[in-house]
Amino acid sequence: MIGGVNRLSPAFGRAIDRDRPMAFTFEGREYIGYAGDTIASALAADDQWVLSRSFKFRRPRGVLTMAGQDANTLVQIGSEPNVLADRRAIEPALAVAAQNYDGSLEADRGAIIELFSRFLPVGFYYKAFYKYGSWKRWERVIRNRAGLGKVDIYAHHGYFDKQYLFADVAVIGAGPAGLSAALQAAAGGGEVLLIDEWPFLGGALNYSRIDREGDRAAALADRLVEQVRNTENIGVLRQAVCTGWFADNWLSIVQANRFYKLRAKAIVMATGSLEQPAVFRNNDLPGVMNGSAAQRLIRLYGVRPGRKAVVIAANEDAYGVALDLGDAGSAVQAVVDLRQRAGDSALARAVRGRGIPILEGHAVIEAAAATGKQGVIAALAARITDEGETDGKAISFDCDLICMSTGYSPAGQLLHHAGARFAYDQAANMFAPAALPPHVFAAGSVNGTYGLEAVLSEGQRAGWAAAQDAGFAGGTEPPPVTGDRGSAGQTHAWPIFPHRKGRDFVDFDEDLQVKDLVNGIADGYDDIELLKRYSTVGMGPSQGRHSAVAAVRVLARETRTDLAKLSVTTQRPPYMPEKFGHLAGRTFEPERHTAMHHRHLELGAKMMPAGLWYRPAYYGSASERALAIHDEALNVRNNVGLIDVSTLGGLDIRGPDSAELLNRLYTFAYAKQPVGRSRYVLMCDQSGAIIDDGVACRFHDEHFYVTATTSGVDAVYRLMLQWNAQWRLDVDIANVTAAYAGVNIAGPRSRDVLATLCHDVDLSAEAFPYMGVRMGSVAGIPARLLRVGFVGELGYEIHAPASQGEALWDALMAAGAAAGIRPFGVEAQRVLRLEKGHIIISQDTDGLTHPYEADMGWAIAKNKPYFMGGRSIAIQMTRPLTRKLVGFTVDDLSAPVPEECHLTIRGDAIIGRVTSAVRSPALGRTIGLAYVAPDQSASGKTFDIRIEGGRIIQARVVSIPFYDPENKRQAM
Amino acid sequence: MAEIPALVEPDTQLRRSLIYRKLLELGARFTPVNGGAVAIDFGEDGEDEARLARRLAVSDLSPLPRTGFKGAGTIEWLQSQDVTVGADSNRGYRQAGGETALRLEPNGVFIIDSLAGAGGFIANLNAAWHWGSTSPRSLIGYPMPRADSHGWFAVSGEAAAWMFAKLCGVDLRPTKFAEGSIAQTSVAKMSAIILRQDFGQTLGFHLLADSASADYLWDCLQDAMIEFDGGPIGLAALRALG
Repeated sequence: MIGGVNRLSPAFGRAIDRDRPMAFTFEGREYIGYAGDTIASALAADDQWVLSRSFKFRRPRGVLTMAGQDANTLVQIGSEPNVLADRRAIEPALAVAAQNYDGSLEADRGAIIELFSRFLPVGFYYKAFYKYGSWKRWERVIRNRAGLGKVDIYAHHGYFDKQYLFADVAVIGAGPAGLSAALQAAAGGGEVLLIDEWPFLGGALNYSRIDREGDRAAALADRLVEQVRNTENIGVLRQAVCTGWFADNWLSIVQANRFYKLRAKAIVMATGSLEQPAVFRNNDLPGVMNGSAAQRLIRLYGVRPGRKAVVIAANEDAYGVALDLGDAGSAVQAVVDLRQRAGDSALARAVRGRGIPILEGHAVIEAAAATGKQGVIAALAARITDEGETDGKAISFDCDLICMSTGYSPAGQLLHHAGARFAYDQAANMFAPAALPPHVFAAGSVNGTYGLEAVLSEGQRAGWAAAQDAGFAGGTEPPPVTGDRGSAGQTHAWPIFPHRKGRDFVDFDEDLQVKDLVNGIADGYDDIELLKRYSTVGMGPSQGRHSAVAAVRVLARETRTDLAKLSVTTQRPPYMPEKFGHLAGRTFEPERHTAMHHRHLELGAKMMPAGLWYRPAYYGSASERALAIHDEALNVRNNVGLIDVSTLGGLDIRGPDSAELLNRLYTFAYAKQPVGRSRYVLMCDQSGAIIDDGVACRFHDEHFYVTATTSGVDAVYRLMLQWNAQWRLDVDIANVTAAYAGVNIAGPRSRDVLATLCHDVDLSAEAFPYMGVRMGSVAGIPARLLRVGFVGELGYEIHAPASQGEALWDALMAAGAAAGIRPFGVEAQRVLRLEKGHIIISQDTDGLTHPYEADMGWAIAKNKPYFMGGRSIAIQMTRPLTRKLVGFTVDDLSAPVPEECHLTIRGDAIIGRVTSAVRSPALGRTIGLAYVAPDQSASGKTFDIRIEGGRIIQARVVSIPFYDPENKRQAM
Repeated sequence: MAEIPALVEPDTQLRRSLIYRKLLELGARFTPVNGGAVAIDFGEDGEDEARLARRLAVSDLSPLPRTGFKGAGTIEWLQSQDVTVGADSNRGYRQAGGETALRLEPNGVFIIDSLAGAGGFIANLNAAWHWGSTSPRSLIGYPMPRADSHGWFAVSGEAAAWMFAKLCGVDLRPTKFAEGSIAQTSVAKMSAIILRQDFGQTLGFHLLADSASADYLWDCLQDAMIEFDGGPIGLAALRALG
C-alpha cells in the first residue's frame, strides 16, 4: 500500500497531500510518504518505530512527543546531524540515517553497555577516573562514545542569512489563544506578526479532540485561520521557532536557514503547554508515547499509532485520545486512569459507550518489552495504594502502544527569558506565570488556562492589552477572564511509579531513572540547580522539556519540601537549537580596497591584510618572494619606485586652535611650524607609551593635514574627538583617510619622473626642500605633495582624491616607464625604512615603550607646558631606564638573520628582544633593532641573541641610520 | 527608443567609480559625467531595467557630484549661499534644482547632486568657500571631501525595505521611515548613511558609505537582492522613474 501499512484513509491526515507521494530512505531502505509528512510520520506509516538509540544505555527509542520536543527522534541527514525527525518534512530522495549505534540500529553492539548499568550510576564520572591515571585510558573511549551524530568537517557552508523584523504586536504561537490574540490586536490597527513553529496554524486544535464527534476543534481552527488570512495587518511566519527573548522585546526567530531579529513593542506569549510523560518501568520503549503524539499521528499525518493500545489517563484529554485511537482502527484495550474517579465528561461517557474498560485508581507500572526492547507487547497495570505506589498485583493488557495523558507543563521558556515569575499552582499541580514583565502578555495554557472558551477569551484580552500597550486602540475591550480557567484536573500531582528494577526514566535524553535522582539528592545535591548539574537532568537536547517538572517533584518529595517553594531550573535561550550558521548569517567581513587595488592584482601583487585594508606585500610569486623584495628595495635605492600608501591615516585639523590641538596631543611643538612645512608627530597615551606617529603638514595657518598609521588612525581620531569634547578648542577634526589615495614615488629619479606630470609646483630642492608640503596637481589631478623620507630616498608622497587614485597611479607608471619605475610593496618598504632606522609602531614599540626607551627624546618638545603622556614620561624618567632600543648589526656574515621576538639575553637572563631584522640589500649585511640593557646600548657594545634551536649569535650595537647616516639622499 | 548616450570606457576618465570593473562585467555601458563615467545602462533594452527599478534595483551613483561642509558656522554659511537647510538633523532637504542637502548633525551637511549630474550647484558651493582674510576669521564651516570619502548607491523598488532588513537594523519600511528621513547606522557591519528619497512613485533610498568598502558593500547588496530577483540598473532607468 502506498504510504505504508499504518496509513489511514483520507478522512485523516490534515497535514499531508496524498496527491504528492515521495520516496526517501532511512538507513538505506526506501520508504514512501506524502508531501507534508515528517520523517517520523512517514516511517511510522510503514511500521518503522525505532528511530534512534539512547545516549547512555543505547536503548531503542521512538516517537514520544511527535512535536520535536524530545531527543528520541534525532537523525542524521547527510552532513547535518541531530535533525528532529518528527519536525523535518520529507523530500524526494532524502537520505536519512540513524545515530548513535555500532553495527545496525536494530542490533546495536553498543547496547551491551546496559548490562553494566550498575557501574554507571548518577555522577559516576565524578567518582571514577581520577585515580591511577585512569582518565588517560578512558577519555578516548568516552569521547568516541559520547555525543550524538557525526560532524562532517568537510561539509560545505550552507547559505544562512539574517533579517530584521518589526512589529507593533508579536504573537508567539498560533493555537486558539494566539489566533484570538492576533485578531484582537489587529483590530486596533497596528501591525501584528503571528509566529508559529509549524507549517499549519491552529496549534492543538489541529489534532485535539474536544467533543464527542471529534470535529469541532478542527472546524474552529479553520475558522480562526481564515479570519487571520483575511486580516491585512496580520503577517504570519510559519515553521518559525522563537528561540529567545532578549531585552526590550528583541526576539530571535529561526526559520529554515534564516535567523530573524524581531523587535516588537508588545508581545503575547501563547506558546501552549508540553504534555508530560508518566514515569514507570520501560516508559522509554518505542510504542510508548504521549497521548497528543498519537493524536498528531492520526489527525495530522493519517497514521495509525498502534494496533492495540492502552491509554494512561489523568484528565479528560485522555478520553479524546482513546476515542481517536478507536476511530483510527486501534483496539483500545483499556484506559488506566490514575484518578480515583474518571469523571463523567462527554468524552468519558463516549469511551464507556464503546465498551472500553476504564480502570480507575490504577497506574501502568511497567511496559513489557518486545524482543530487543524494540517495542511494547503489553502494559502491566496495578491499583494505586499511595503516591507512587501500587498493590503490585499486575493486570496485563496485550498492546503495542501505550499512550500517556497524565498532564502538562507550560511551554514558558520564553516567558522565563523575559523575566516572568512562575509559581506552583497546587490546585492545578502545575507551574504557571505569577507575574509578567512590562510589555509582555500571556494567554492560553502557557498561562494556566485550558478551557477552550476561557482560552479564546484570554487570547482576545491579551491581544487587546498588547495593542493598547503598543499604542493602538485594540478594538472593544474584551472582559477579563474570571472563574474556572480549566487548569484543575489537567495534570496529575504524581504520575511517577518507580520500579524496584528501575528503567523508570525521568529524563530520556540522559537515561536518568528515578533512583538516579534519588541517589543524587542523597549524595547531597539537594537543590534543583545542583541536582541538574550533578545528574545532568534537563541538560540533554530536550533541555528538560519533559523532565524538569518530574525532577522537581522527586526533589520535593525526597527533601520533604513544599513544591510551591521550588521551581524548575533557570531557562536560558535558545529554546530550540540554533546552528552556528544561523548565528553567523552572511558573516559580513568588511574589506577596504585602495583605489589602486586592481592595478596591484594585475601586476601580480601578493596582497596582505592590514586591518580591514588589503595592501600589496610584494609583486611576484610566493616562490620568488625574497628575490622580489630584494629587487624592489634596490630599485628604490638606485632608480625609482612607486608604492601605494593610501591606507595610511589622514586627518584634516582645521580652525584657529588647530596648532594648539596638535601641541596637546603630540610630543613635538607645532605652534610655530611654518605653512608649507611638515613636522614629525609622535603620540603617546596617558601612561607615556608610544601609540602612533606620522607627519603634520601645515597647508594654512589654520589647517594641518596629519597622517597616522593604517591601524592607528581610527583610534587617533577618536582620541582627538574625545579630548576636544573636554578642551572645547575651536577646531574641526575630520578623518579623511578614505577620501585620499596616496602614493610614494621614491628614489633618485623620482623628481625627474614627477616633473613630467607636475607643472604647477617647483619641484627643485631649493623651492621644495625636504619636509616641505605643497598643493598642486599631478597629471591634471589635484594633489597634496609631501616630501617625506620614510624610505630614506628622494621622494614625494602624493595624496589625491580617491576617485582619481587609479588614474594617478596609471599616469605615474606610464611617466616612469622609461626610467624603469617599478612598484614596491609593504615588505620592501619595511626593509628600506629599517635601513634608515625608522621605527614601526607596535613592531618596534610595545604597550610600554616610552620615547626615551626608543631613543626618541629628540621628538619631545622641552618647553611645552603639556602634552598627552608628558607627565607620565617625566615620572618614568626620574628612574633609570631598564631597556633601550638600539640598532645592531651581525658581523658574522654567515649567521642566520635573527627574527622578530628572538630574545636578547645575558647569561641566563632575558634582557629584551629583537623587534626588526633583515639582510640589508643596500648594505649586504644583517641589520636590526632590538631592546637591550642600558649598559649595552652604547655604539660598539655587543650582546647575545638567541635564535632558533637555542643557538646564540653575537650582535654589535651601531648608530642609526644604518644607510646614508647623514641623510643626504632623502634631502636631495 | 531611448536616445543612445555618448559612451566612454570608464578607465579613460580621471574620476573612476571604485566598482567600475564589476559593472563592466555585468554589461554596464558608461557615459561621461563630472570628469568621470557613470553606468548609464546595462544594455540597449531598457524595459528589463525599468521593471527591475520598480521591483528592486541598485545603481552606482559614485561618479556623480557631491560635497559636504561641517563645523561651526556651516548652516549659516550654506543658507547664505541659498542652500535650503531646515532645523532638524537627520533630514534631507531638497533644493530647487533637485539636489539634496543631508543635514547629518547640527553643524554638518552632506550635499548630493540631482540625478541629472550636472554638478553646477555643487561646484559653485565648492568654489564659494574660502579661508577668508579677516581676523578673526568668520566661521563658515569647512569643506569635506565627500565626493571621495563616500561611495554612493541608489536603491529603488518595492522590495527595497525588505532587502535592507537583511543588512540593517533600522526599520526602513515606508510607513515607518518617512521620505526625507536619514539614518546614520550600520549596513552589513559598516557605517553608512541612508536617506529615503523616492524616485517618482517608487520607493527609493540613497546609500552613502565608506568609498574604500564599495566593492564589499556592492557584493553585500547583490547577495541580499537575490531573494527578491533584484539587480543593478543604470542611471537612465533611475531617471526614468521620475
